[in-house]
Formats: sequence, structure tokens, C-alpha cells
Amino acid sequence: MSVRDLTGRRRWLAFAGCCVWFLFTIFPLYWVAITSLKSPPDVVNGPTYFPFIDFQPTLKAWHELLSGIRGEFYSNFWSSAIVALSSSLFATLLGAMAAYALVRFPFKVRLLSGVVFFAVAMGGFLLGRNVFGISPAMASILAFTIALALSVFLNRFPLPGKVLVNDDIVFWFVSQRLFPPIVVAFALFLLYSEMGKLGFKMTDTYLGLTLAYVAFSLPIVVWLMRDFIAALPLEVEEAALVDNVPQWRIFYGIVLPMCRPGLIATFVITLAFTWNEFLFALFLTNSKWQTLPVLIAGQNSQRGDEWWAISAAALVAIIPMVVVAGLLGRLMRSGLLTGAVK
Amino acid sequence: MNRDDPVKHLFLWPAFLVVLAVAMFPLIYSLANSMMSLRLVPPIPARFVGVDNYTDLLTNPRFWQTVRTTAFISITSVAFQFVIGFAIALALAKRVRGVDFFRTTFLMPMLVAPVAVALVARQILNPTMGPLNEIATFFGFPNLPYLTQANWALGSLIAVEIWQWTPFVILLLLAGLQGLPDDVYEAAEVENASPWQQFWGITFPMMLPISAAVIFIRIVESFKIVDTIFVMTGGGPGVATETLTLFAYQEGFKKFNLGYTSALSFLFLGVVLFISLVYLALLKPYLEKYK
Repeated sequence: MSVRDLTGRRRWLAFAGCCVWFLFTIFPLYWVAITSLKSPPDVVNGPTYFPFIDFQPTLKAWHELLSGIRGEFYSNFWSSAIVALSSSLFATLLGAMAAYALVRFPFKVRLLSGVVFFAVAMGGFLLGRNVFGISPAMASILAFTIALALSVFLNRFPLPGKVLVNDDIVFWFVSQRLFPPIVVAFALFLLYSEMGKLGFKMTDTYLGLTLAYVAFSLPIVVWLMRDFIAALPLEVEEAALVDNVPQWRIFYGIVLPMCRPGLIATFVITLAFTWNEFLFALFLTNSKWQTLPVLIAGQNSQRGDEWWAISAAALVAIIPMVVVAGLLGRLMRSGLLTGAVK
Repeated sequence: MNRDDPVKHLFLWPAFLVVLAVAMFPLIYSLANSMMSLRLVPPIPARFVGVDNYTDLLTNPRFWQTVRTTAFISITSVAFQFVIGFAIALALAKRVRGVDFFRTTFLMPMLVAPVAVALVARQILNPTMGPLNEIATFFGFPNLPYLTQANWALGSLIAVEIWQWTPFVILLLLAGLQGLPDDVYEAAEVENASPWQQFWGITFPMMLPISAAVIFIRIVESFKIVDTIFVMTGGGPGVATETLTLFAYQEGFKKFNLGYTSALSFLFLGVVLFISLVYLALLKPYLEKYK
């Protein structure tokens, strides 16, 4: 929609409105930035607004934070960074692969075999735990494997009932976003602790948290990447097929490079999600792999009114994402996300 | 294209397996648990109780209270987000002065960690050391209990939600607006349609499908709200701002009442599904009308 930019009074009205919203948007960020530069008296004796005018800025809070006087901080920062970056990377890659398969190849899943999976997984778990007295973790692993094998096997036969095709599979992926994460976070915490009893530690490990993040980013990645891949021209791939280039080389050599802007956008969106995620981190980690949001949430009760220190810690979580916002804004300008919402 | 190659399974299965094992299977596990009486503290052996957990919850006034609170926060804040977001997206699409600058800065809130936002909000809303009350007092308003009185606390949470998630609405609606065809507007200009008529006659109907999707996504997402409330009010004062997720967290992590929590999270899922279905049913005639 480019027809007629605003003119005259309307133009100024729109500009004024944007300015008001800008002030509303920026004020909290400005506030946390200046608070991190305040000395304790400037906070406790009522609000002060402008550096150098009504308070003298000091780097004391930052110095204390970075030198680690106020407890461990680097470890949380690094675990946040490692988990967020690697889980976004895996999610983008796996999601792009799945989206590619769903765009280019036909799939058929019989509804009945899905129902069988559900029934066998749940029944097997209950049976294993309550009747045979197997430990919950073992029972769930067994039930899951048997149910999966059985339903894949059954899918080969012409079962009666609805046949689900690619669009339904995409819907299945996306519908995961509908589920409140607390349902899964809590169950995952129980499953992980049960696995810990088997000697396979999952809570508070890199693997445990990353796996949860990958699983929870995949729906949105599949959804976004499907549109990006569907928009690619087919001719190049067809030409490569004629030359007998193997499928995986077509994907890594042709498809991925061609949808690089889409990959970057998806990666950035996933990164914002994983970096800020709170609930899973709260449930699944407790010390070594605890991430920044959990640390920051805890500041409140630990530090009370030490706002200068709290603000500095909060800024460490905010600043990387402000950089990301700049990147996303630039991607948006190139009209990149237009296709994704159709 | 119709090509079939067994390699397709190699592409789909990793993602499929991860989602199935880490997102889907816990759901089944949880469903099984929700029919048990299961406590970790004090540890008692698991016992099959059928739907007892569900009936317990459905007769628990606290559950309905949290459903109301969650729905209220979510629907009110999404309504504001949509109206403000649409207005700003229109201004940006019409290339208001400074559009490039605004486009980037307006995005920022949605990328800031909700827990950090909540901490900043606590500072701003603090009765003695925060700027908001000082400015209000300066203009002669009374000192307001933003976080300690039930209605004000709800209002503050909604304001924070609006601050954080309007950018998401702007982002998607702007992308939608930029995809609208020019020729319709050119025709409207020839007909001398006023901007107001153009908006209600062309822009709004054409944006209806994406608007519906944006509102849907926002409502479903804001039903999950927990981190902001966890930090800002902790569900207080009393249980006035306790949402479903927070309630489940309290039951599960503070009381270790596992069966009950699993049942609660399934009822939560039921509430979300119910609201989604009602929303889609209400919207269907409009979507078809403008198709």
C-alpha cells in the first residue's frame, strides 16, 4: 500500500502520535539505563531524571557486576548465550529441513496410526508404571518407543479413516504453540528428574534445556520457513535433479543459500525467544545452566531496593536484544517478512 | 511438484522426533498423571483416582478466579494492542516523518526479556522512589498504590503487556499493509473517497484475515503470561493477579501436588481451546463476508 502518503494536518497528527508512542516506548529503557548509572543515594532519596543535572553518574554498579563482587554472573550469561545461540541454530536447521520436506515431497499419515501412538504411549506408560512396577522413566521410554514403532509400522497398511497430508502435518507442528508451556514444562521436569534417577542427568544440563528450546522453537520455524521455501523458484532444483545431484546436496548447496534472508530472519526471531525464555529455564535448571532471565527474576527478592545493581543486571539481558531489534528492523525494511504472514 | 524420494524422511524426521519426544510425549505423560493422586511431599504412593482431580478443580473457586483474571488481562491488553498497533502500522505504512527511525525503535519492547521489563516496571511504579508517582503528585494527583491494590495492579500489568506486545501487532500488520494492492486505492481516489471511507471500505476489510490471525496469536500467547506477573506482583495482592500458569506453578513447585497440577494444566489447555473455538466461530461470518 503505497498510494498517497499523508498530507497536511493528518501528516502532523500521525507524526505527533508516533512521537507520543516513542516516548512511551523509550522511557522504561531510558529509565533502566540511567538507574544503572546512579549511586545509591540518588535512587533512595526519590527519583532523579537527568545525568549530570540532578545526579552524578557513576559506573559503580557496573563495576560491581562485572567484577563479580555481587555473586556469580558470568556463568549465567554464558549459559544463556550458549543455550540460546545453539538451540536457535539447531531449531532453524532442523526446521528448515522439515519445511523443505513438507514443501517439496508428499507425505501421508493415517489418522488411525496417530491414535494408536497416543493410546499405546499412554496405556503402555500407565501399565508399565502401575502394573509391572517399572520406574516411571523406563516405562515412558519403553512406551514411547513401542508406540512409535507400532504406529510407523501400521502406517504402511491401508487403514480406514482419514489420511493426513502435508498441510495437516504443518498444522500439527504449529498447534504445539497453542499448548500452554506450563503443561509441558512441568511434565518435562518430572520426566527429567526420573531420568536422573536412572543415572542419566537431564535437569540442569546443557542437553536438557537445549532440547526443550529446540522443540519449542520448531513450530514457529517450520511455519516461517515453509513460506520462505515455497517462494523459491523450482527451476534451479529441477535442473540439479536432471544432473543427478543427490537430494541432500540440493538442499545444502542450493536451497539453503537461496533462502538465506529467510533463515536469518527465522534465526533472529528464534534467538529472541530463547534468550528471553523464563518458564522452562526456571523448571529445568537450578545452578550450572541457569540462564539470565532466571537470575534477573531472582534479583528482586534478593536485593530489595538495590535498583542500581538490578538495573545493570537487567541491561545485560536487554542490550543484546536491542542490537537484534536493529537487525530485525533492517530486515523488515527490505520487505522480507511480507511473505511470511500470508 | 510430485517427486518421491525416500530421503524425504531424513529431512522431516529429526524435527518430527524432537517435537514428538519433547513436546508431545510429556503431554501424554501429564495426561496420565492427571488421573492419579500423586504427591512428592509428603511422598505417598501413586493411586488411580480417575477424574477426581478435575472435579476438585472445577469446584475450586480459586481456579475460576484465576481463569477470570487471565482472561481479563489477556483480552483487555490485546484489545488495546490491536487498536494502537493498527494506528501505528497505518502511520508507518503511509510513511510518516522519521519512519525508518520509528520502525526500528518501535520493535524494541517485544525483544526485551519480560522479567527485565517487569523489574523496570516495578521501579517506575514504586510508590516512594518511582518517577510515576512523583510526577502524579506534582500535578496534584494522589499517590497511587500501583502494585499493592487489586485493580491498580491489574491495570499496571495490562499497561506492561501493552508496552511489550504492541510491537508484535505493528510488525505483522505493517507487513500486511505493505502487501495490499495499490490499484484499489487508485480507483478509490478517482471516486473521491475520503480517507475515512477508504479505511473502512478497503483497508479494514482487506486486513481482516491477518488481523484475525494477529489477535488470535496474541490472545493465545498472553494466556500463557507468567514471567511479568511472577516478578511484578507475584500474583498479589492476595491472589488478585494470579494467572493460570502461576497457579499451576504454585501447586506444582510449592506444594508438589503433581496429579493436581497436571489436571490443572489440562484444564488450562481446555480453557485455551474453548476460547480459540469461540473466537473462530464468532469471526467466521465476517471472514467469509469479506472473502
